[in-house]
Amino acid sequence: MAVGGGKIKSIGAAQSPLLGFAMFSPALLYIGLLIGAPFVLAVFYAFSDARIGGGEMHYVGLENFRSILQSPSFRKALENSIIFTICAQIIVMVCANILSIALEKPFRGRGLVRFLILLPWVAPVSLGTIGWKWILDSIYSVITWVLVWLHIVKPYSGPYWLGEAKLAMASVILVHCWRLIPFSTVILLAGRTAIPKEIPEAAAIDGAGFWRTTFQINLPIMTPILSVAVLFGTIFTFTDMTVVYILTAGGPYDSTQTLPSLAFATGIQGSDLAAGAAISLFLVPVLIAIAYLMLRVAHRSEVI
Amino acid sequence: MSDKKGKGVSRRDFIKIAGASGIAAGALGPAFLFPERAAAQQKTLKILQWAHFVPAYDKWFNETFAKQWGEKHNTTVTVDNINLTELNTRAASEAQAKKGHDIFMFLSPPAAYEKQVIDMSHVYQEVEKKHGKKIDLAHKSTFNPKTKKYFAFSDSYAPDPGNWHKDWWTEAGFPNGPDTWEDLRVGAKKIKDKTGIPCGLGFSQELDTSMALRALLWSFGGAEQDEAGNVTINSKGTIEALKFAKALYQETETPIVFTWTPPSNNQAMLGGQVSYVANAISITRQAEREKNPLNSKIMISRALKGPVRRIAAEHVMNCYVIWDFAENKDGAQQFLIDYIDAFHDGFVAGQFYNFPCFPKTVPNLKQEIAKDDRADPANKYAVLGDVLDWATNVGYPGYATAAIDEAFKTWVIPTMFAKVARGDSSPEDAAAAAEKEYKRIFDRWK
Repeated sequence: MAVGGGKIKSIGAAQSPLLGFAMFSPALLYIGLLIGAPFVLAVFYAFSDARIGGGEMHYVGLENFRSILQSPSFRKALENSIIFTICAQIIVMVCANILSIALEKPFRGRGLVRFLILLPWVAPVSLGTIGWKWILDSIYSVITWVLVWLHIVKPYSGPYWLGEAKLAMASVILVHCWRLIPFSTVILLAGRTAIPKEIPEAAAIDGAGFWRTTFQINLPIMTPILSVAVLFGTIFTFTDMTVVYILTAGGPYDSTQTLPSLAFATGIQGSDLAAGAAISLFLVPVLIAIAYLMLRVAHRSEVI
Repeated sequence: MSDKKGKGVSRRDFIKIAGASGIAAGALGPAFLFPERAAAQQKTLKILQWAHFVPAYDKWFNETFAKQWGEKHNTTVTVDNINLTELNTRAASEAQAKKGHDIFMFLSPPAAYEKQVIDMSHVYQEVEKKHGKKIDLAHKSTFNPKTKKYFAFSDSYAPDPGNWHKDWWTEAGFPNGPDTWEDLRVGAKKIKDKTGIPCGLGFSQELDTSMALRALLWSFGGAEQDEAGNVTINSKGTIEALKFAKALYQETETPIVFTWTPPSNNQAMLGGQVSYVANAISITRQAEREKNPLNSKIMISRALKGPVRRIAAEHVMNCYVIWDFAENKDGAQQFLIDYIDAFHDGFVAGQFYNFPCFPKTVPNLKQEIAKDDRADPANKYAVLGDVLDWATNVGYPGYATAAIDEAFKTWVIPTMFAKVARGDSSPEDAAAAAEKEYKRIFDRWK
């Protein structure tokens, strides 16, 4: 770098538009091929009569949307997607906050505890969910076995974690929470350690207790990072089909069906590609709203 | 200065070796770099089918029949066996990518794929020349009456009998097991009241449940469609079937039946946790193979009789398709034709799981199944001798059309029954909701 006459001259390559484009292109390619192209294809299918195995397609306007809106399974899936996401996020935020407070101060074995807490996030979601399916299995559930062994419930009388609508919904939410709590904990822990120590110390000198420090000082300071955790968690839960597909396959009787799992069942398994695409497009408005909020939060807090 | 007697290589030797290597590389290089070209001399045939519930069948099919057929026809035959729950997803990806196996086997009629598979009329004709006419169940499961096209070829089907625990049913006053749906309700209630052990007829969104509940629906006079393909689900027969299902569930079952996956009822029956399930003979075969202590207790019975008829769906319907993008269509057709010549060997290797769609391939079926050395008692499977009197196709009394296929794969029937069984919907409302859903699906496939 050369300095002369008060002006900074950069070495040419650093400002070369070609280099910038080359560095940017992998991301562009990734977004274009793996997100953009499937999205455009989904829009295309949603306005057509595309079938798996069908040779030709025709434009059918809004017919697919009219058809799926009549389906009770679709209405239930939409309702469930919202319920699962909201419930999971409330539980995740409460637990992640508690864990981040507990893990902030040094103690013996903190590294090991942090590692164990992080495991559900780093393990593949499908493997984790298969593990939960065994734990909650209707015949061989280890939880039910323990309850029977403790004489809390009678043999053959349940509880059937995946067989009763409310328990199945609770099970799906539980697995989502199990998966997302580590992720949110790590984010909140990072936010908490970034709070200047002088602020809570000054508050303590002024007589603020634990609850007051938490709710009137720490949480307001952490709002931007908290929002990022909530928004990411919402996207992960709202768009996930692995947990439902493996755990309940949408059952019992569609009571845990979500938009992604119904789109898969209708479009791929049921061969009605157009209806499946139309169902999946109902995710888009919510995801756009979340993306907009995320960008706003990121901008305000200067995360990027 | 080089030492010729040493271990080094002289320039002359080097040139000789290099020359020989060059010639060898010239000859073998393309084979190394482009193995697909080298293999062009030998044809390939790729087959995908389920991992059979009786592993001995896969061993015979993959290692004996397919291997010998390949050697005879100078063809490398590869057989991929996958879990039955993944068949539809895999088929969808192959059909969309227009790439995959030459022969693909479904376990239910795949009418939705008609436009991407070749007409199997030729295969049927060639097989019928040698082995006589196919059964009506195969015709109704693989033929589209509108386009007059056979979209699949069915070699076999698996019966869907009842599986019941001999001791418990004898104590309940039914030493030969339940014969009617009413017997099932009465006997299973007695067993549950006495032992706490429930009946295991499924109400879940899966294959076994779909077949069992269709049997219940038809036995009470209900049906998804009529012979002409008009939606008829909202009928008096359906409502009666739904009322019965609600009573059956509430008196004899637990919510465990809402969680069934295809292997679940096998596990529950073999674990002595349910008194009755509707399933193929995979349960008893597994009991024999694993020397399960319940082997001699689990018995087989015909389809249950309802107020209108005794009827059941086939448990699985083997439906082979040849994709129109298959690379070896001729070989695929010949393979299926020759496979029927060897069907009897497959019938034996599969331990009678797959019953023939061409009855002449197993002319002494009744005698063969009536005495089985593996079974305890040896005549356990004799009851399946008249299976064609009570087994029918998905879509009965009509054809297994693309609309029926979508309704089957999106679990409309199990959902209708389960909502009523749980008391979340009245029989009338559930039948009306199912009618709406069927009409919506049928409209989409017009």
